[in-house]
Amino acid sequence: MDLLAQVLINGILLGGLYAIMALGLALVWGVLNIVNLAHGAFIMLGAYLAWHLYVYLGIDPFLGLPITAIVMFGVGYAVQRGILNLVVRAPMFNTLLITFGMEVVLTYLAQLAFSADFRTINPSYAGTNVALGPVVIPTVRLAAFGVAIALTVAMWLFLLRTKLGRAIRATAQNLVAARLYGVEPRHLYAMTFGIGIGLAGVAGGLYGTVSQINPYIGATLTAKCFAIAIIGGLDNPLGVIVGGLVLGIIESLAILYIGATFGDVASFGVLVLVLIIRPSGLLGRTA
Amino acid sequence: MSNGKTKLACALLAATALALSSGMAMAKDIVLGASVQLTGPSANTGRYYKDAYEFAVNKINEAGGVKVGGEQVKLALKIYDNQSDVNLSVRQYTQLVSQDKVDFLLGPFASNFALADSAVSEKYQIPMVQGGGASDQIFSRKFKYIFGTLAPASNYFGSTVNMLKELDPAPKKVALLYADDAFDVSVAKGTRDLLKSAGLDTVMDEKYSSNASDFNSLLSQIKSNGAEAVLVAGHETEILNFVRQAKSLAVAPKMYSFTVGVPSEDFRKALGKDADYAFGMTAWLPSADNKDKWFGDAAQFAEAYKAKYGYEPDYHAASGVADVEAFAQAIEDAGGTDKAKVRDALAKLSLDSLYGKIAFAENGQIDLPQTVIQVQEGKVAAVYGAKGFVEKPKYPMPAWDKR
Repeated sequence: MDLLAQVLINGILLGGLYAIMALGLALVWGVLNIVNLAHGAFIMLGAYLAWHLYVYLGIDPFLGLPITAIVMFGVGYAVQRGILNLVVRAPMFNTLLITFGMEVVLTYLAQLAFSADFRTINPSYAGTNVALGPVVIPTVRLAAFGVAIALTVAMWLFLLRTKLGRAIRATAQNLVAARLYGVEPRHLYAMTFGIGIGLAGVAGGLYGTVSQINPYIGATLTAKCFAIAIIGGLDNPLGVIVGGLVLGIIESLAILYIGATFGDVASFGVLVLVLIIRPSGLLGRTA
Repeated sequence: MSNGKTKLACALLAATALALSSGMAMAKDIVLGASVQLTGPSANTGRYYKDAYEFAVNKINEAGGVKVGGEQVKLALKIYDNQSDVNLSVRQYTQLVSQDKVDFLLGPFASNFALADSAVSEKYQIPMVQGGGASDQIFSRKFKYIFGTLAPASNYFGSTVNMLKELDPAPKKVALLYADDAFDVSVAKGTRDLLKSAGLDTVMDEKYSSNASDFNSLLSQIKSNGAEAVLVAGHETEILNFVRQAKSLAVAPKMYSFTVGVPSEDFRKALGKDADYAFGMTAWLPSADNKDKWFGDAAQFAEAYKAKYGYEPDYHAASGVADVEAFAQAIEDAGGTDKAKVRDALAKLSLDSLYGKIAFAENGQIDLPQTVIQVQEGKVAAVYGAKGFVEKPKYPMPAWDKR
C-alpha cells in the first residue's frame, strides 16, 4: 500500500513537470497552429542557460527562472519574427519541416557549444526531501510542481483576463475580425511564440534540477509534450495540467505493474485512446 | 545573408569539416577505418575511441611506424561520424571497405553497433578489431574477422558478485536492473546465473527502456522490497539520474554498482559528492605494471592522454589504443597487409600492452578480469580484484542524510 501511495505521488510530481514542459507547446499550437517540433530543443537550451547561471554566476536555479524565461522569450520572439512568420500561413507541412530543422540545428549547435558531456544542476537542497508518513516527497520535484501549477493558472488568467491574452485568443479564433479591431498579427504571433519559448525555458531550468542535461534530450521531450498537449486539449491551459498528470501517473503505474519498459508504451497507448474517444482532448471542447 | 544566418552557416560548415577532417591518407600508408559516434546521444563515450585511435596512430608513427618487410610504413586513420545511428554506421563501414578501400577496420562504440558493423567486416573478410562492444552476442556467431578487446559482458559483474559474498555483513537480497540493449541484456543474462550460483536472493529483475530518465518508480520498488545490493547495467545518463533520484527519494541500499560511469571523470564531476560510495568495475586501471612498447606503461599513457585531450582516459580509451596496437603488431607479425594473414596473426597474437595482455580467445574476444572499483571521496579506488580485496570498500553505504 505504501508503495502504491509512493508511486502515485511520484507520478503526480512527474506530471507537474510534464505539464510545464508541454504548456508552451500547447499555447503555440493552439494559437498559431504551429506544431513546434523544436520545443524540446528549446527546453534543452533553457536547461543549459539555467546551468550556466547557476555554475558561473551562482544564481539559484529557482531564482534564475525569471532570467531564463525572459532570455528565452527574446529568443522565441526573434525566431517567430525572423523565421516562422514567413510560413505562418503556409500549409502545416512547411512549419513542421522548419521546426524539425530548427530542432536538428539547435541540437548540434548545442553540442558544438557545450560538447556532448552531461551536466546536472545540483544545488545543496537538490537531494533533500519531505517525509509524509511512509511517503517521501523530493523537495525539488515538489517545488517544480508548484511552479508548474502556478504558471499554468497564471497562463489561464492571462489568456482570459488581460488585453494581450484576449488579443491572442481573438487572433486564434478569427484573424480577420481581430485585425478589424486593430490587432497587429505579426507582433502578436511573435509575442505568443515568445511566451511559449519562455515557458520552455522555465521547464528546462526545472528539468535540469531533477535530471541530467545533454544536447540530445530535446527530441524525447518534444514527443512527450506532444502527447500531453493532445491528451489535455489545446484550448485550455488547465487541460495541459490534466494531460501532464494523466501521463505522469499512468507511466509510473505502468512501470510498477507491467514493467519498466512499458512506461512509454502505456503513455502513447493513452494518447491513442484519447484520440479515438475524445479527439479534442480530455478538457477540450467536443467537436 | 544577415549576420545571424552567416554565423549559423559558419558553425554548420565547421561541424561538417570537423566530421570529415580526421586523417588524410598518404598513398602508401596503411589505413585503418572506423565509424564512431562523434555526435548524437552516444558522442560522450564515442569521443574516447576517436581520441584513442588518433593518439595511438600518432604515437606509432612518431616511433617510425610499422615494420613491413624491412621497411617502415606509417599508419593513417579514416574516421566517419555515425551520429549515434546504427544504420548509418553500417553504411559507413560499407563505404570504408568498398569505396575508401581502407586496409583494416577499427570498431565503433557500443555493442549494438559492433554487432551490426561486424557483419560488414565478415562479409568483406577484412579484420575488425574493436574495443567498444562487449556483448557475448557479437562473438557467438562464429565470425572469423571480428576481434574484441573488451571482456565478455556476461561476466562484467563477475568480480562484483564474488565480492558480495565476502562483504561484512554480506547482502542477501539483490536487485538487478538493466537497459534493453544488446550489451546490457547480455550483462543481465550472465549476472542472473552468477547471482543464482552465489546463492543470493534476486528480489527484483527488471528491464527498463534505454534513455529512461525517470527511475522514481523503480527506486520506490527497491525501497519497498528491501534489496540490499543493487546492480544496474545501463548508460551513463541513466545512472546519473538514478543516483540523483535515489538521493532525493532517500533510497539507500547497502551498496549499488554500475556497469558504466564510475570509472569516468565526467560522472564524478556531474554528481560531485553524491558519486561517493558508488561501486563500478573496470578491466583497466592506469597502473605502471602494464608495460607498453610504444607508451612505456599505462601510467605514462594516462598522463600523456590527459595532457593532450584534457580529460582522463578510462577503459574505453585504453581498449581503443589496444585495438590500434593489436593491428600494428599483427601487421608486423604477418609481414604485410594481406587480410587473411593479418587475421591469422591477430588470432595468434600475444602482446603485452598498456591495456594488459592482448590475446584473443577462439571466438575472437579477449578475457580480462574486471576489477571492482568504488568512488571514495571523489576518487576511484580499486577495491576488489582477481586475488580478493585490494583496498577496504566503504560499506555499507550510509543513509543519504548521514553522509
